Amino acid sequence: MASPRQFRCGRIHETSMSGELKIRVLEDTDLNGVTQLDEKLGGGYRPEVWEHRITYYQRRDPEAPVVAEADGKVVGFMLGEVRSGEFGLEEPTGWIEVIGVDPDYRGQAIGRQLAEHILEHFRERGASTVRTLVDEDSEGIAGFFSALGFEPSTLRPFALKL
Amino acid sequence: MSTRKEHIPKSLHNAVVKWRETFLPDYDYLIENWDRFFPNDRRFELCAFRELGMCDEIECGERTGQPKATRACDLPDDAGRHLLGAIKAQASTEFGSIQQHQLTLSRAQDEEEQFWILRMMAEELRHGYQMLHLLSDDDWAKFSDASGAEMVEEILSMRTGSHILGAFNVDFDSFVDNATFCALIDRVGKYQLAMQKVSAYKPMAESMPEMLREEAFHLLAGTVPLRRWMEKAARGSVYITSEDIQKAINKWLPRGLEMFGDERGGGTNVRFGLKPMKNAEAQEQYCKEVESLVAGINMRFIRARLPEISSARAQEILDQIVQERKTVEGIAWEDLIHLPHPHFFRRRGVPAFELAGWEGESFDDVDEYVRHLKQHLPDAYRAGRDFKHYLELLRQVHAGEIELKAAVRAMPDLRRVGGTCPCSKSVRWVVDEPLPAEGTEPGAEAPA
Repeated sequence: MASPRQFRCGRIHETSMSGELKIRVLEDTDLNGVTQLDEKLGGGYRPEVWEHRITYYQRRDPEAPVVAEADGKVVGFMLGEVRSGEFGLEEPTGWIEVIGVDPDYRGQAIGRQLAEHILEHFRERGASTVRTLVDEDSEGIAGFFSALGFEPSTLRPFALKL
Repeated sequence: MSTRKEHIPKSLHNAVVKWRETFLPDYDYLIENWDRFFPNDRRFELCAFRELGMCDEIECGERTGQPKATRACDLPDDAGRHLLGAIKAQASTEFGSIQQHQLTLSRAQDEEEQFWILRMMAEELRHGYQMLHLLSDDDWAKFSDASGAEMVEEILSMRTGSHILGAFNVDFDSFVDNATFCALIDRVGKYQLAMQKVSAYKPMAESMPEMLREEAFHLLAGTVPLRRWMEKAARGSVYITSEDIQKAINKWLPRGLEMFGDERGGGTNVRFGLKPMKNAEAQEQYCKEVESLVAGINMRFIRARLPEISSARAQEILDQIVQERKTVEGIAWEDLIHLPHPHFFRRRGVPAFELAGWEGESFDDVDEYVRHLKQHLPDAYRAGRDFKHYLELLRQVHAGEIELKAAVRAMPDLRRVGGTCPCSKSVRWVVDEPLPAEGTEPGAEAPA
């Protein structure tokens, strides 16, 4: 029989039942949910930003971005993809770039479940390393990645203001 | 997750390239400008992708658990005939949609949106190629008298008006159709591909994953422009109104619903292990998904009209307007877009040729119903041959001049062709290859 994973990227629309948390691949119909959640998290109302970001991921690695759905709405999302050639890293590398979890649903390990799904996808795509960048001021996010097993990398970020 | 790249025999590959030069003339422009719009995205390639490591056992139906067929001749007779029909229909839709998009591609106002559609068209060509690969890579003699090359020839010869499924015989009237088609009709395609991923014919199942990945972008090539246009409509754009979008939805959604097949059917596919869901079940899921799409588009309208309100308040307003059908904060029910009743304007399935109104209301008089359709369908569409053909059949059905079954089967058989290019009686798409040199095998060479 097919594993649940094989059906996962079937991308047939599923909706969560009341109270049930569902982690699934992001779809175009999640644009609104992601935009709303970003707004709730303080990002402001930025539909164009999310239309571009989501279109970017959907055309490159559509099975990577995942959302958490509960009570019929998006309560978490994680965007990322597998890329090669970034910063001289030729091997396929998973990059986690955006994460958001609804504060009303915190404490349900939503971030961890989102990460498990995206990491599984990265493994299937042949990535042996996953990378992300976290602002030093975001201790909560850093703690989240540490709890998942992420360790500080020797690849240090540098920036120059222009 | 990994894929194997394959090509069809050179003569057939060349036929597809020739077809592309005719019906996708902007292909070279797409390739030349690829990096401008899709930097670092994998370059487009005309080839078939087969997913590796997929399930070897039949996943649904009477023979669940038995090994999947890796060759067509191993399929039971009925299942093989059924599957062959599905592959040809799928191939026809892929090539057909390119012909439709090409009609209005140049009318896009936004270069990015136009380029998205152009990429989508190229990927549909690849999807068609994928189906031709299934036809040419196996021996279908058990189920068809036509050779693989003849089947390919027939598919490449089809034009808008002679395709197998109704939605692909409807001309586009404006670039609104390009986006609406992607958002509604490609979404049906997504369901079909997702269901065929469990196919008891393993080459079919292996063909689906990469097509599905590409289809995700095709949906956004429709959804995002529709959302942007709805915001423009909210701001009083002279270029687009919510009524324009509504009428485009009214034009396409009925065709999309019909693409699932008759609501009473689909059991054969499940029994043969070709799909996991019956038609009605898949259609119901699709409707829920389209409801979600429409809600998102409406939210974009409300937020544009009332930029000072919160997301939660916008949701309340949307719910109030839709459920209570009243004007809230100056936004009327008519300002937003809505889904027509699933029986509206149908010509296939359970409600075929019913006089069912946009909200599901019944009409007793054909002329009254025609006036109702006039209110709800785009002007340019009503002036076209598809609508004319539908009205002729509708009148015949209700005058008792044609049986419903015959009307349902009737195609807008305007340009049915077979074997030769429809624009020239002398051109063939598939050109016979010269005899191979001694010691070489015909058709074995992959295209350059």
